Amino acid sequence: MKRTATLCPYCGTGCMVHLLAEGGRLTGVEPVDSHPVSRGGLCVKGWNAFAFVGHPDRLTVPHVRKDGELVPAGWAEALEKVVAGIQSVQEKHGRDAIMFASSAKATNEENFLLMKLARRVFGTNNIDHCARLCHSSTVTGLAQTFGSGAMTNSIGCIEKAELIFVIGSNTTEQHPLIGSRIIKAVKNGAKLIVADNRLIRLARHAGLHLRHKNGSDVALLLAMMQVIIAEGLENRAFIDTRTEGFAGFAESVREWTPERAAEITGLSAEEIAAAARLYASAKSAMIFYSMGITQHTHGVDNVRCIAALAMLTGNIGREGTGVNPLRGQNNVQGGCDMGALPDLYSGYQKVADPLVRGKFAAAWGGALPETPGMPLTLAMNAAHAGVMKAMFIMGENPLISDPDQGHAREALQRLELLVVQDIFLTETAQLADVVLPAACYAEKDGTFTNTERRIQLLRKAVEPPGEAKADWEIICDLAAAAGYTGMKYENTAAIMAEIAALTPIYAGVSHARLEPSGLQWPCSHAGHPGTPILHTETFTRGLGRFVPVAYKLSAEAPDAEYPLVLTTGRTYFHWHTGTMTRRTHLLDREERRAFVEINPVDAAAYGIKNSDRVTLSSRRGAITVFAEITGSVPAGVLFMPFHFAEGAANVLTNNELDPESHIPEFKVAAVNIRKGL
Amino acid sequence: MKTVAPAELPEFFARVAEGYDLRLPVVARDGSRVLGSLDDGEPSLAGGPLLAKPTALFFPQTDELFVTGVKGRESSLAQAKQLFVVGFTPRDLLCLNFVDRFFADGLRDDIYFRRRDGAVIAAVSGFSGADGGFVPLAGGGCDLEFVFDGSDWLVFPYSQAGRSITDLLPLNAPVDALAAVTTRSAEFVNNDVAIIQAASQLLQKELVPDSFWEEIAAACILCTGCNLVCPTCTCFGVQDWRYADRLERSRMWDSCQLDGFMREAGGHNPLGTEALRTRRRIHHKLAADPVKWGEISCFLCGRCDAVCPTGIGIVAVARRMVEKFGVY
Repeated sequence: MKRTATLCPYCGTGCMVHLLAEGGRLTGVEPVDSHPVSRGGLCVKGWNAFAFVGHPDRLTVPHVRKDGELVPAGWAEALEKVVAGIQSVQEKHGRDAIMFASSAKATNEENFLLMKLARRVFGTNNIDHCARLCHSSTVTGLAQTFGSGAMTNSIGCIEKAELIFVIGSNTTEQHPLIGSRIIKAVKNGAKLIVADNRLIRLARHAGLHLRHKNGSDVALLLAMMQVIIAEGLENRAFIDTRTEGFAGFAESVREWTPERAAEITGLSAEEIAAAARLYASAKSAMIFYSMGITQHTHGVDNVRCIAALAMLTGNIGREGTGVNPLRGQNNVQGGCDMGALPDLYSGYQKVADPLVRGKFAAAWGGALPETPGMPLTLAMNAAHAGVMKAMFIMGENPLISDPDQGHAREALQRLELLVVQDIFLTETAQLADVVLPAACYAEKDGTFTNTERRIQLLRKAVEPPGEAKADWEIICDLAAAAGYTGMKYENTAAIMAEIAALTPIYAGVSHARLEPSGLQWPCSHAGHPGTPILHTETFTRGLGRFVPVAYKLSAEAPDAEYPLVLTTGRTYFHWHTGTMTRRTHLLDREERRAFVEINPVDAAAYGIKNSDRVTLSSRRGAITVFAEITGSVPAGVLFMPFHFAEGAANVLTNNELDPESHIPEFKVAAVNIRKGL
Repeated sequence: MKTVAPAELPEFFARVAEGYDLRLPVVARDGSRVLGSLDDGEPSLAGGPLLAKPTALFFPQTDELFVTGVKGRESSLAQAKQLFVVGFTPRDLLCLNFVDRFFADGLRDDIYFRRRDGAVIAAVSGFSGADGGFVPLAGGGCDLEFVFDGSDWLVFPYSQAGRSITDLLPLNAPVDALAAVTTRSAEFVNNDVAIIQAASQLLQKELVPDSFWEEIAAACILCTGCNLVCPTCTCFGVQDWRYADRLERSRMWDSCQLDGFMREAGGHNPLGTEALRTRRRIHHKLAADPVKWGEISCFLCGRCDAVCPTGIGIVAVARRMVEKFGVY
């Protein structure tokens, strides 16, 4: 039996697991009690993280499309077809006619290399990844207010907080080992406020549960701040010494009385005032948020409000405080850190900065494109418009995960060249011209960076199936096939050495230093111990900045034709587009079919019984799924997970974007429902 | 009875590993104590029960049942050496005894016994618990026992298989070396035994209301860890994987905390709420098994309490039950 200490591949919590293998195949998982994040626990997905790895559906050889069919091919042929295809598109339509989609499931080393491939080898800044669809609002909003778009504190701070405010995060289901620590903290006396209109598990433990209307977060947060300022509960010393822009901000929230916000949020003025007083009077208060805040056409405004709330009360830069966006994917923090973003190199260094560009150009031996590239969501729109001609997609399944599936399908079908590099033949891969078989997390080395900025080692436990290769090896092969000689590495540690040399916040990181449980960035030199808490003395940008925010409606309001609000998300047992969890026996058995959660009041009004098949329609399309009647959603609101291709929630969602972060509004779409097909 | 100094243990186990497929508590590179081989880290006998259950060596999380097809892979069970497992606490041995009974009952489970048969089992006790705590003597139920007397390990066999291992140790222990540990063991009281027995009585007399289980279930995040680390949890599911040239049937640990565990094909579920499933987990060990097997099937190994992220392992729940509803 072989034992390998490595990382869970699912959420951003970053739990360590031991993978057990026998005869070259994974046989089980053990939790690790010495690990500071998981502390001997795992969630159900972690406990089952081994189970999809050896699945018969794994891609084992490259495929190329011939006469309309994907057929097996050798690596040389597939790589040649990719490189020739990209070069042909670029010759005809310009170098920015291709989009590279990197992967929050891939390692830091792989994200860095795909970014390098796009920029240095193919001369385009068109690189992005699924952070665009989850926390781009955070990156934009917190960069503007704090100077750094990452979780300010550590998971270990939960035990130090007097109060925890969770808004727009179903923490026990989406970051279970963080959610469970919050439950334990409450048992030990911490106060808990939950703002979420679903009756999530954490709400059962909350002293105050605010079930505000979808899309009304700005009104709620502005009114909380109005109360804090009106009642003199703000932290004057912190505001005076650590921040700027307060006077104008205070003026902008003056009109946001709880009574006014009550009309918009559906809460009572008393509830809003109570939340404000509870939060402001705690000596240390942590805010946790996630997609409920970010996935709106005003997602950046939501984030600005949260940043302001923390600054207003001085709840930042200390243990047990902070603004803590919980990152969804295992390595979505790392994907951002590595510069798989159209306007940033690794370490959030700006493409537009000639000094930065010069540094990377010198290291990589050649000129680099100057104009920032296109965000992923705009690239999909550009493909639909016939402007974007090629896409290289590594480890993402946008046909199921992007908003407005009909639009996404048409966009992908209009491409001259679609290359997909993945571990299974996903719905997106089925549309591809070339499919490259990748190793999964258990079959390669590298690093992931968790939600608290902890860079940790991923270690190979078993060999990849057939001819599949690690993403980083494929990227290096592609670079070589394209004639670039500067992408040869003996191993992933050598790639990290290059990352460290070019990335100040990772400058002190090396694989050797990451034993036993990683380092939290910024880590600026080889002796630096890492940084558990950001913004302790000053903010990354110097002074924290209050930015006035105006309340905006969601893009699509319910009306007579589409009277219900659809909000989408994940469930506990499945992961994103289900490629891994639906091939995991126990997880698949637990939730086998596409469903919609509907309140008993609505179910009665529409004559729907539990487990009935129901058809949901929006302005984008219609799907048929099973009804689950539950008080977990309020009347007027439907919840659907987006895991199920056969009843894809994203057929219905609205491809309207936040104008700054370009994140789609997954959390609010107007739909109707009827019983039957 | 033999004796060996802690510093000499690594060399002793290295010698043992030449003749056996040795598994023992070791400290892995990440600092965790695990049941592994000498390749995984330095021996670490003292420290109490391991987080993972040692019975997983015989009933692993997933196990191949059979392969059909002409090109089926060779069985990974072609073990060249006899399995020798060190690290069962005396309470783990009670669990092992229960699981052996379970898998031998009725149709003997040959998938379990193909790994279990012939395995040499060693207990660890004495002043070897977590933080130097005392673990009372097993006194049998295994092939040999390692007892830490505070400075040296005393090693003695209970079977011929055990003797062939203790024979590898050169130094005989003084005849009275075990006296202090024996006395201490006789005086040792585990307060949790009374708690678990009292909780068992409350459940058997049906004195615990549904509202109690709703309260416990509210804190459950459905990780299934309590089941998966429990040495006496034996439920498994079966899956088939179809490859181009073969079909593989395997079984894997299941959990009664999952909705799908008892959900019928038509959708009805006799354990259809989280409260019912939480009740089932405890009730099965403390009320159902005493009727079927004549004993409570929680032997206080401590694992579910250690692994539960929200603090509702069986001892914590039993304690709360007894605090709330008294001793029957």
